[in-house]
Amino acid sequence: MAEAIMSFTIIKPLGHSSLQSTKWDMLHPSSKSLEGSNKKRASLCKVNAFPDWPLTLMAVLVEHAEGQRDLITHKSIWHLSDKAIKNVYAFYMMFTCWGCLFFGATKDPYYDSEVYRGDGGDGTGHWFYEKQEDIEEAARAELWREELIEEIEQKVGGLQELEEAGRK
Amino acid sequence: MATTPLLPKSTSPFVSNPLSLSSAHTHFIKPSFFNPLEHSHACTKRPTVQVHAKKKNPWLDPFDDGEDPEMEYGSMFADGKQEEDTRPPDAPNNPYGFLKFPMGFAVEIASLPLKIRGDVRRCCCMISGGVYENLLFFPAIQLIKDRYPGVLIDVIASARGKQTYELNKNVRWATVYDIDDDWPEPGDYTDMTGELKGRYYDMVLSTKVGGLGHAAFLFMTTARDRVSYIYPNVNAAGAGLLLSETFTAESINLSEGGYNMYQQMVDWLGRPSRTVPKQPVPPLRVSISRKLKQVVAEKYTNAGVEKGKYIVIYGIESDSKASMQSRGDTDSLLPIQVWADIADSIRGMKPVFVIPHEKERENVEEIVGEDASIVFITTPGQLAALINDSAGVIATNTAAVQLANAREKPSIALFCSELKGRLFVPNAEEKKCIVVSSKTGKLIDIEVEAVKQAMQIFDVSLALA
Repeated sequence: MAEAIMSFTIIKPLGHSSLQSTKWDMLHPSSKSLEGSNKKRASLCKVNAFPDWPLTLMAVLVEHAEGQRDLITHKSIWHLSDKAIKNVYAFYMMFTCWGCLFFGATKDPYYDSEVYRGDGGDGTGHWFYEKQEDIEEAARAELWREELIEEIEQKVGGLQELEEAGRK
Repeated sequence: MATTPLLPKSTSPFVSNPLSLSSAHTHFIKPSFFNPLEHSHACTKRPTVQVHAKKKNPWLDPFDDGEDPEMEYGSMFADGKQEEDTRPPDAPNNPYGFLKFPMGFAVEIASLPLKIRGDVRRCCCMISGGVYENLLFFPAIQLIKDRYPGVLIDVIASARGKQTYELNKNVRWATVYDIDDDWPEPGDYTDMTGELKGRYYDMVLSTKVGGLGHAAFLFMTTARDRVSYIYPNVNAAGAGLLLSETFTAESINLSEGGYNMYQQMVDWLGRPSRTVPKQPVPPLRVSISRKLKQVVAEKYTNAGVEKGKYIVIYGIESDSKASMQSRGDTDSLLPIQVWADIADSIRGMKPVFVIPHEKERENVEEIVGEDASIVFITTPGQLAALINDSAGVIATNTAAVQLANAREKPSIALFCSELKGRLFVPNAEEKKCIVVSSKTGKLIDIEVEAVKQAMQIFDVSLALA
């Protein structure tokens, strides 16, 4: 099929005007035959999906023969280059992977289970991990203060005894 | 100048005189121009430093020829111990939450003491082994705390060993990670590596007798001082490359050293520096929290004994992991029949049998009798609290002996040989501890008569009390 299209004379539309010329072709299929001679000829119009990106969305082939109705072949296949096909598939794969991970994780009972959330939270969506370690650390700090207070009390007691002994 | 205590004393001259700030750079390198007295002082001190300097590993830095003999130290960050707290005070009136930095505070030199004086702000201790080994590391932790005031000490220990840190007030975080495991879960390993790196330690100590693999683990913490024991054999090859200080263990099992099993590390930690004398090793002490005491008081009251009127019996043979033995002395548990014999001769006190597993309760009741006082305890914290409220302890070579010594309770320690007894309880008389050892080298052959003879220590302590 590609060879068949390539064998026709191809009117290369000029960038932005390609869509307009195609429209013209579609609306007035016989317009080009009015000004031409009696010979059989054909013309091809392509529409790009994006002006700068070679992604052909639609091709309209107008075959014109003397004394006959114009034969219009209207192809709306996407003509993708190898690179474009690769891009599409790459995107498809990436989306699939991301989708599996993302949508798979949204409803995983594991993340709401005691195993994952077990360490606690304050009920506002802020989860505390390693809460156990913090509790233990606080307990040891408390122990340190207790001992310090005991030591100070002992020293103060000793001082008071000394003072009393000094008074006597 | 109310804020000067935050800065080293030497900064005050150029705080008052901003023009001389440019000399701050040269001040600690060549102070001899400014202060000839200090120069002579440094000269007299230098030889003592060189005596204690150990041979450097030439692989670490091929251009490091040791301490520069021409190097002159000024007074800035060079003398004495580090400051307890280098954090400037809060400024409550500051709208931006800045701290109250003293005049002339130079952020640029804030980290200099880490280089010059070798300050340690955060220290991580990785302790290999169970409860006993961790308990014996307590004096070292206290020594670090004394030598480097204001240091934050974290501990990495096995699940069993970590429970010991309920008794230690000097430790900030105790994390469970088994460094003895040669094949850790890759996830655990990388997680721990990242966590340790993220804590920015200045010094990492490890008591695992390790090789290159363990050295790599320590290296990845990016701490300045990576200190570890290494194998006494060829397996230590390459470990020294990644460590800044290594101790060659006398044998693969460090615990065989007994009470002073960490002697090499403790010697290094307490080493004298320029003006700081050698730090003495403090005795083993444990602290018990009020909550722990309450819990244990409830336990032994349920068992039918009163505070101060019972004797703890520890070391009943069991396959429980909670028996708190040392790895250096595997023959350290006695069957309940022997304990029943020993407990028979206790006069005026009630024996309290501590079982490490609930399944032992039946055996004890069967042999000692239904009315025996039995307390189920697995954690060293509860055992310490129980010993603290007791009149004395009779135990085999388990953590109970060390805990009794730490709380200065009279104790009778049963050992499989005299040598082990000397190793694990040095200076027994000072610690009010009587070591009874078996003649044959097997604990099971211990003479119950000798234990009964030794029991007068409890009467003596009662009479004193």
